Amino acid sequence: MRDEHLDILAECAAAQTIEPGTVIFRENELADRFFLILDGRVELETRGNKHEFPVQTVGAGEALGWSWLFPPFRWHFEAQARERTRVIVFTAAHLLVACERNHDFGYELMKRVAQVVILRLQSARRHLLDANWPSRSPDETRTTPPTTGNLWAPLKR
Amino acid sequence: MGTLETLIAGHPFLHGLSSEHLKILADSAMQSNFQAGELIFRDGDPANRFYLILDGKVAIEAAGREQSELPVQTVGAGDVLGWSWLFPPYYWHFDARALEPVRAVFFYGTRLREQCEQDHHFGYELMKRVTQVVIRRLQATRGQLVEAALKSGAGSR
Repeated sequence: MRDEHLDILAECAAAQTIEPGTVIFRENELADRFFLILDGRVELETRGNKHEFPVQTVGAGEALGWSWLFPPFRWHFEAQARERTRVIVFTAAHLLVACERNHDFGYELMKRVAQVVILRLQSARRHLLDANWPSRSPDETRTTPPTTGNLWAPLKR
Repeated sequence: MGTLETLIAGHPFLHGLSSEHLKILADSAMQSNFQAGELIFRDGDPANRFYLILDGKVAIEAAGREQSELPVQTVGAGDVLGWSWLFPPYYWHFDARALEPVRAVFFYGTRLREQCEQDHHFGYELMKRVTQVVIRRLQATRGQLVEAALKSGAGSR
């Protein structure tokens, strides 16, 4: 990413350390932040009848939180730190305004978001197939798409 | 406005797109129809097309045992189909098959990517729409994963 775009990101970024067990955001709450995970582990969960169901685990080098991008701007899942986790947190409103004002920046950001969410969708669909048809033979099961962590590596200057 | 431009302008995915950007898209659009049962693309084949579905239903599937097909998702009129042209390695991850006669318009992926890189206003508009659709599908797929876990009784703690 170009320096001028990193500057836009830096304007609304803050470093944060999250202790294990801390709920980072809750289902249906206002989604007003975007996270890059530097290290640690965060579990995305949803609440069924009394129980929590794990949806996905995200860790070092990965991005967290997409619901700030589009209406209704509410989190779909709950995120909880499983380990001591260091993140960079961005103010979503600032990012959205910057995207609309500066389409060079907006294109760069959206292109990266699109890539990450497409890989996650492909991976989630594989998991769903495995869940519904556990007898799928191993040679029919593709490996999980490569980690997307490197996408964000240039951010750590 | 040409016929193709009129056709794509009415598709929900492109709702609100400027006439300038619609024209860019129309210049590289092709109409394509499929018969019921016809394969639109195959898992592992090179991915270079992005489809807007005008009419009909398409099943996204994965190959199962003994030539059976495992359904992943069904998309229909007003939906879009195909993301693998966006990012390397540019291979389809699933099969897509027409469940009934399908009327569609497609764009060449390589052309779209070039146009995005050349014109970031266009690129931003396209990526914003892609991101929104993929995030909704991701959220829906994760919801299905949770349902599958609930059904099997796994995942509760």
